[in-house]
Amino acid sequence: MVSAIHILSTGLGAAFLLGLLPEAWRGRAHLVTLAALALMSAIALSWVLAFAFDGQQMVDVFTAGVSPPFAINLRLGMAEAALSLTVCLSGLLSALYLKTSLITQGRRAMAVLLIAVMAFCGIILTRDIFNLFVFVELSVVSVGGLVLLSDDNRALGAGFKYLIVSQVVSILMLLGVIFLYHAGGTLNIDTLTAANAAGIGTGGLAFFLLLMAVVAEAKPVPANGWALDIYQAAHPAFSALFSAAAGTAALFAVDKVLVMGGPTWPPVVAGIGLFSFVAANVLGLSQTHDRRLLGYSSIAQIGLVLGVVGLKDVVGEHYLFIAGGILVAHAVAKAGMFWLSGLVAERKLSAWAVLRKNPILLFAFATFVALLVGLPPFPGFYAKWELIHALMAQDRVVLVALILLGALLEATYLMRWFGYALKRGADLESVQFEVRKVAVVLTAALGGWGLGYVWGELSGHANLLHSMALLFALGFVVLDGLPAWVKNTVAIAGMSAFFYVSYPGYDPLQLIFASIILLGGAAIFVAGYHERGRRLGFYPSAMLMYAGLAMLIVADTTFQFFAAWEVLTVGSYFLILRGKESEPHALSYIVFSLGGAFALMAGFALASGGVSEFAIQGLSDVAAEAAPWVFVLLAVGFMTKTAAIGLHIWLPGAHAEAETDVSPMVSGILLKAGLFGLFTLLMTMGKTQMYGVELTHVLMWIGAISALLGNLMAVFQEDAKRLLAYSSIGQMGYALFGLAMMNHLGWLMALMFVINHYVYKSMLFLSVGGVAKRTGTKLMYRMGGLITLMPLSFVAVLIGIIAMSGVPPLSGFGGRWIFYNAIMTAEYKLPILIIFLSGPIAFLYLFRLIHTIFLGQLKDEHRRITEAPFWIVVPQMLFVAFLLGFAVVPGLALRHVDAYIAQFFVGGGLSWDGLTITSPFGYWSPVSIMIVTGAIFAVLLAWLVFLNHKAQKVKQFNIVFAAERPHRPETTHFAWNFYAPYRKAFGFLLKPYATWFWDGVAGAFHGVAETARRFYTGDGQVYAFHMLGFVLVVYLIAMGM
Amino acid sequence: MDFEWIRIPHALLTLLIVFLYGLLLGAVIQKIGARAGRRHGIPFYQNYIDLIKNYALRTTITHGFMFYLGPVFRLTGGVGLLLFVPTIYGVAMHENFSFAGDLILALYFVFFGSLGMALGAGESGHPYAAIGVSRGLSQVTAAELPFAIAVFAVALQYQTLSVTDIVAAQQGSVFNWTVFTNPLAVTAAMMSFLGSMMRPPFDVVLAPQEIPIGPPTEYHSAYLALMQSNRAIFPIAKMVIYMNLFFGGAANWPVFFLKVFLLYLFAAFVGVVFPRFRVEQSVRWFLVWGVPVAVAGLFWV
Repeated sequence: MVSAIHILSTGLGAAFLLGLLPEAWRGRAHLVTLAALALMSAIALSWVLAFAFDGQQMVDVFTAGVSPPFAINLRLGMAEAALSLTVCLSGLLSALYLKTSLITQGRRAMAVLLIAVMAFCGIILTRDIFNLFVFVELSVVSVGGLVLLSDDNRALGAGFKYLIVSQVVSILMLLGVIFLYHAGGTLNIDTLTAANAAGIGTGGLAFFLLLMAVVAEAKPVPANGWALDIYQAAHPAFSALFSAAAGTAALFAVDKVLVMGGPTWPPVVAGIGLFSFVAANVLGLSQTHDRRLLGYSSIAQIGLVLGVVGLKDVVGEHYLFIAGGILVAHAVAKAGMFWLSGLVAERKLSAWAVLRKNPILLFAFATFVALLVGLPPFPGFYAKWELIHALMAQDRVVLVALILLGALLEATYLMRWFGYALKRGADLESVQFEVRKVAVVLTAALGGWGLGYVWGELSGHANLLHSMALLFALGFVVLDGLPAWVKNTVAIAGMSAFFYVSYPGYDPLQLIFASIILLGGAAIFVAGYHERGRRLGFYPSAMLMYAGLAMLIVADTTFQFFAAWEVLTVGSYFLILRGKESEPHALSYIVFSLGGAFALMAGFALASGGVSEFAIQGLSDVAAEAAPWVFVLLAVGFMTKTAAIGLHIWLPGAHAEAETDVSPMVSGILLKAGLFGLFTLLMTMGKTQMYGVELTHVLMWIGAISALLGNLMAVFQEDAKRLLAYSSIGQMGYALFGLAMMNHLGWLMALMFVINHYVYKSMLFLSVGGVAKRTGTKLMYRMGGLITLMPLSFVAVLIGIIAMSGVPPLSGFGGRWIFYNAIMTAEYKLPILIIFLSGPIAFLYLFRLIHTIFLGQLKDEHRRITEAPFWIVVPQMLFVAFLLGFAVVPGLALRHVDAYIAQFFVGGGLSWDGLTITSPFGYWSPVSIMIVTGAIFAVLLAWLVFLNHKAQKVKQFNIVFAAERPHRPETTHFAWNFYAPYRKAFGFLLKPYATWFWDGVAGAFHGVAETARRFYTGDGQVYAFHMLGFVLVVYLIAMGM
Repeated sequence: MDFEWIRIPHALLTLLIVFLYGLLLGAVIQKIGARAGRRHGIPFYQNYIDLIKNYALRTTITHGFMFYLGPVFRLTGGVGLLLFVPTIYGVAMHENFSFAGDLILALYFVFFGSLGMALGAGESGHPYAAIGVSRGLSQVTAAELPFAIAVFAVALQYQTLSVTDIVAAQQGSVFNWTVFTNPLAVTAAMMSFLGSMMRPPFDVVLAPQEIPIGPPTEYHSAYLALMQSNRAIFPIAKMVIYMNLFFGGAANWPVFFLKVFLLYLFAAFVGVVFPRFRVEQSVRWFLVWGVPVAVAGLFWV
């Protein structure tokens, strides 16, 4: 093995060598720089591999071959090697990226870069506090120089401010070093720790000053204005290095120094870190400058790791896994983002739209955002899971809440940014980027995936990147260049095959959900044949969602469940984002979903008492005092997905603005994830009380009110897809209500809704989407009279609304029949009344849907349109056939589930003999109903045809119109504000309280961010004052503890 | 369940009796209403004549496929509703096709005809039809609520959803009728009954003054005849349900005729006394007056 000291000597030596080269050899000088950085990286890598695979033990290197205090001690363990590698690699890639700038500036700039990287490595490797001071000073000087590489004329100011603040920091640090030496008689960290120097005389204060100096290098809020200005003004490739390498080095320095100070200081550091994490994320909300935003995000991430460093004792054995996971994810992603920002000409967030036409860069952007947010399968995801569990194990509930809040805020502004890049502003001309820079960015993105794999292996859970479903979905990233129809076929075949293979392993409940997800998903994909071209990005997103769903229903442990949940959330977010106008709605969706997901994570962690590998079945034995809280957290998480009232505001926009064949996926299928979760929750935890309140009773109320208000809001929509979207809120309310009844038939009814809602909502979204494609509008009052032009779409909607309204003989009636039988044994009667009211309201919007689109007056501009596109009609006809079949023989699907549910409840099931289904209270014979109704209908129709067979078809305006004649189709088509009197009666229920509430929450955060950001005045003296003030306040707080 | 073909002619017999009685009853009630208003009114056979006339008309037009099917849906709804409920208690030949489903089937089948009819009227493209439907649907959401709660109360009271069992439970004495065992629920249900009978104060759906006859505006000749047939059958089918649930059912035809007549008369009586509500007024009326009574009836059980 090459000694670790050569990481430093290579950097230093190459920097000297550059000085010897002729000024004109700029290209060669750059090669020398790259070679040196590559060598440093190689040395670090060889150590990482040795530690990982060869069982290499930690080594100490002593300069001059003698032990401290006469020599300097460097130490190399797994952490040091990995972090040095991170530093060297980001240096190498930045140097490659900076080629033009470095060659223009000449060998001095390259030498400074090498010194910077060497200094960061030195900070990581050294065990000597004076040596630490030296490396910090080296890094300060070199950073100050590198800031000037930028073309931005604010860079000079930023560099100068940095030097001012650094002098303050250096003074603190030097004082600390001197007095610690005075107290402990040595400069070696281990010896000082052993001698408890921080506890002797002035040692305490000295240690504090040293600690503050290294903490300050981690840029804590609010003593970090200087860093923000650097991020904003410096060359992005330097900012990449500054964020990834300098941050890493500073954090490791804190970790090293902290051991000297005894138990007082870790909580202080944790407090500083977590405060920075939350505060920087709040401040990030109002940023509009991309690099400054990245600066805030950097500060937040480093703050989080700082927090973990401070919580080292709490997180215990997982410390390196957690801190390392967050840190490397941050380093890779932040460096990648800064490199990306170098490709974007303007600094406002929407300027990132230039990446839109470049799939590789977009993939990289998505990867970096996912890395930062901590989505699966990246290291931050595993790390956050362990962190939350470790904290929960020690009952640190407040810390969990803070961390999750900060993470949600960060996800908000990052996802918003991603949405801007994809959707805001006009499509720009495709821009040619330098291959070298793109390669650097792509390397980082692939590195992120590689790290995801490594962390998956280290996690002790099943590695997500070994999951067949996920791999299949990710395969579509590779296939994305193929034509859409090829990918569509692969997707349909893959999902069907997956179902066929997995089929024997499912229990009846899983089978119902799996059929809907896999076979149902494949059915909706049939509509995808309509799309021409390559349809970039669609298949990876959709398949990611399906993979998540498929993983969800077979999850055995809370980890698997949560990972699947996040996967399906991410996939569906990308899918929703594809709609033309869907950008704000997709954001709203992902923020609510991640909020819900965090509630799930907290709930799972609380349930398991912090055990990170915990069987879902274990939820049935949760300790009594934790159980109600677990129930509430999980229920809230799941209800976010089913869009229960209050948590519903994301749904209408997200479903209505999605693409034609995406709406059925996210409505018909995705919502079922929430119901599956609720099933799981109630099957394991059952009835749970909180302060004497029965929580399932509360769920019943929520379900009933969702059903009522969802239906009521649907009545007043003018946009057909929004109408369907609101109706889903109502339908999910019904299902939730059924589940919360906690009796056999209630659950069966919920399952009936699961099946029915998938079929008719998918069908209706497709029909309405097909109509919208032809008419160019989703507003119903602008349509009308389309029945003769689009008969198949009409039939689909007709069957759909009959089924949905519950009118016999179609399958919706089965749902209602089971409902009535279920409420016969329900314990609570009042919420049932609300369901009674909401039932007939469905008729209102359903009639409106079919009437204003297909009946009434045809508009002049629509006279030449034709039936919806063939491939959009095909799945609708499949659904029509299924609905008719399911209406006659519901038992095929339901009786097995009925038997399955019997294990959870005593009695109350149905008996399925012959054609009649019997409950303890009543009976129902679907076949008889169908035959009787059909026979009566046929006889009467024959009778009418006999009488009226010569009826003459008249023109549109040939109607009885008392003493006048109709004017125009627009004025004759009664469609707009169809239920005006109803609004008078019920309008008071429609005030958007939920929207106001969430707007208020969002407004409050933005207001705080907007006010607080003025704290950073841009004045170097003020920043120096901040630094001193920060140190003082921390001291006072620490003394008070 | 073994199906016997003899059920079909038996059911047709029930249908015929109800149809003929319904036409007669409609005219009689009409006449009573007119007399209350100091008018002469129509002769009792007027409905038969109208029906024959309409079936005989030869001028027929159509506005399209759904328009054609509308009356078929409507009448199927009426006939189906009648046949899914046992008409005469204890008489096998008038149990009709009640083996197909229980009370819930009847409750939901009510909507079958309305929905089909509304769709057919919609295709005519006449705005009055659409306005009528909009009003009718708005009103029915609130009007159905007290009834639905009352039905729930009755089902809980007798612990069954089978109409036959509910009637059976009321036999023995007049005081076993639900109207005496749970008067609150029955009161609420009767309020709903008013809302569904197309008479004042709840006849804004047809609103002859502003939107001449509402949804059926465009219908004529055999279409209208089908709808008239339905207007004879459907109210009686509905009253059969009320009679069975709340008033002890009927064990023979004379009792049946009497009970149905009295129920019909009740709606007519209220109708001649009160003026018409606007839609939002009737919605509020059902929610403010009907629902609390129904809820009280529910907790009575």
